[in-house]
Amino acid sequence: MSKDMSREETSISAASDVAAAAQAGRPFRQRSLWVALVRVGVIGGFLVLWETASGRWIEPFLISSPSRILSSTISSFQSGDLLQHSWVTFQEIGIGFPLGAFAGIAIGYWFGRSRLLAEIFEPIIIALNGIPRTALAPLFIVWLGIGIWSKVGVVFLLTFFLNFFNTYAGMRQMDQEYIDLARLMGASRWKLTFRVILPAISPYVFTGLRTSIPFSVIGAIVGEFIAATEGVGFFIRLSAGIFKTADVFAGIIVLMLMVIVMDKIADMIEKRFLRWQVQTEHVRIQG
Amino acid sequence: MMGEYADEFMEQDFQVSEQKSSSREATGKAQDVNQPVIQVENVTKIFQTPDQGRMVALENITLSIPYGEFVTVVGPSGCGKSTLLKLIAGLTPISAGRILYQGSEIQGLNTKVGYVPQESKLFPWLTLDENVAFGLDPKRYSRQEREHQVRHFINLAGLTGFEKYYPAQLSGGMSKRASIVRALAYEPPVILMDEPFGPLDAQTRMVLQDELLKIWEQKRQTIVFVTHDLVEAVALADRVVVITHRPGRIKDTIKVPMDRPRNIFEIHRQDGFDEAYGRLWNIFRHELHIGSN
Repeated sequence: MSKDMSREETSISAASDVAAAAQAGRPFRQRSLWVALVRVGVIGGFLVLWETASGRWIEPFLISSPSRILSSTISSFQSGDLLQHSWVTFQEIGIGFPLGAFAGIAIGYWFGRSRLLAEIFEPIIIALNGIPRTALAPLFIVWLGIGIWSKVGVVFLLTFFLNFFNTYAGMRQMDQEYIDLARLMGASRWKLTFRVILPAISPYVFTGLRTSIPFSVIGAIVGEFIAATEGVGFFIRLSAGIFKTADVFAGIIVLMLMVIVMDKIADMIEKRFLRWQVQTEHVRIQG
Repeated sequence: MMGEYADEFMEQDFQVSEQKSSSREATGKAQDVNQPVIQVENVTKIFQTPDQGRMVALENITLSIPYGEFVTVVGPSGCGKSTLLKLIAGLTPISAGRILYQGSEIQGLNTKVGYVPQESKLFPWLTLDENVAFGLDPKRYSRQEREHQVRHFINLAGLTGFEKYYPAQLSGGMSKRASIVRALAYEPPVILMDEPFGPLDAQTRMVLQDELLKIWEQKRQTIVFVTHDLVEAVALADRVVVITHRPGRIKDTIKVPMDRPRNIFEIHRQDGFDEAYGRLWNIFRHELHIGSN
């Protein structure tokens, strides 16, 4: 009898939760429309200001202007020039980023599982992390030449450390009780890894992935700045050298788009994997 | 509702027959027919404190728990009650003594026991039904059996309709129930509960105690239930084990003479409650150095 009572009570509370969420939904949507409008306004205002300032108050070769950047972006792409450079940079990131991310996650996970490994290598890795990693880029050129592989190396390095540290931090935060419970319930090694540990640390893993995206682009560009014959970084440096400021900005726009697209993809994957967290995130946003 | 789950009696049979066969084994070896499922023999647990000191959490604990008994363990907080459960589960190594499970010494993890922790600790990344199904080994249960088992236990917890919810979407009481049936669903013969109702409000607590007893009366697993609440200890148990403050020793064991099934909501009026509670309080009064008024 009391069980029926409590069941009723739970279904009522669930129903009122749903109602509350629906009520909260409407003003929230209106608000997000406003946010979008204001955002577009800010960007538009900035572009107008830029366009006006250029040539009137500031030399165009210093800051170019939105219209000049647009036309040079289009012409650079039409000539196939910028497309080729973008493709090279894309390849460097496309190889270096997944390798670095995978290695970082795998080794972070591995260190998290083995106390011995962590004890031996943790200080070494922290010391290595103390080196400003972009300072190693010239070395990679020496080792791997001026082709794409030296840049792949720099991208790998930057991506690796961020993913490693985040995954390792996740493993250190891992609640022992979840592991104990899973093992008591007879979970196999495989099940423990893929159904318990990896999901538990996945918020950290995604933080690592998300933060390493812009850094992977930085890695590629720094490498190209130092020594290259191709790539967006090379294109930017070359254009700046001959004061083609509009081309510099065209290159920057390409890099920005790369980061945005990568981040968007990561965001979609993250939303799928961290569905179970969505609720708590909403509370934080609305609060 | 009962007819729909007629199978559950077969499950019960399974458990009983398992019990019989193990006691048959025992009779083959010795004359002890009512072999206890858990025997704790002179167990001591010493923790290393961070400043290289030694802290005796449990000292010389001897306890024998027969099949199907509902034992509660009470004591002041920090007396090592939870440690005792961890030792039975094999989660922490024993410093001295030994623990037997069905007559053989526990080495490493004891996967024959179910464990209900203080906080619900449902896996937050799994939905309710995935959580309840977690312990159901595909080698032991067919797909159909698993589905049946999950449905049955979710229903038992009064959570039908919430199968696809994530733990973050459930209330405290609901997660607690889910956490308990997660441990019950794969039918371990022994269930260890570590103050499972601790953080709940009084009403929810009573409702859950009532539900726990109802479930237990159907299945009659062996339950070792740790609590610091004297009323809860008496209301649920066949036997109450009292542990003293550090170092944790067994101060006394009290049989609770109340009939079953019990009415949790009016437990004070039941015959035998006052007697058992009185004895228990007497022990604690000395523990707490409170004179009789």
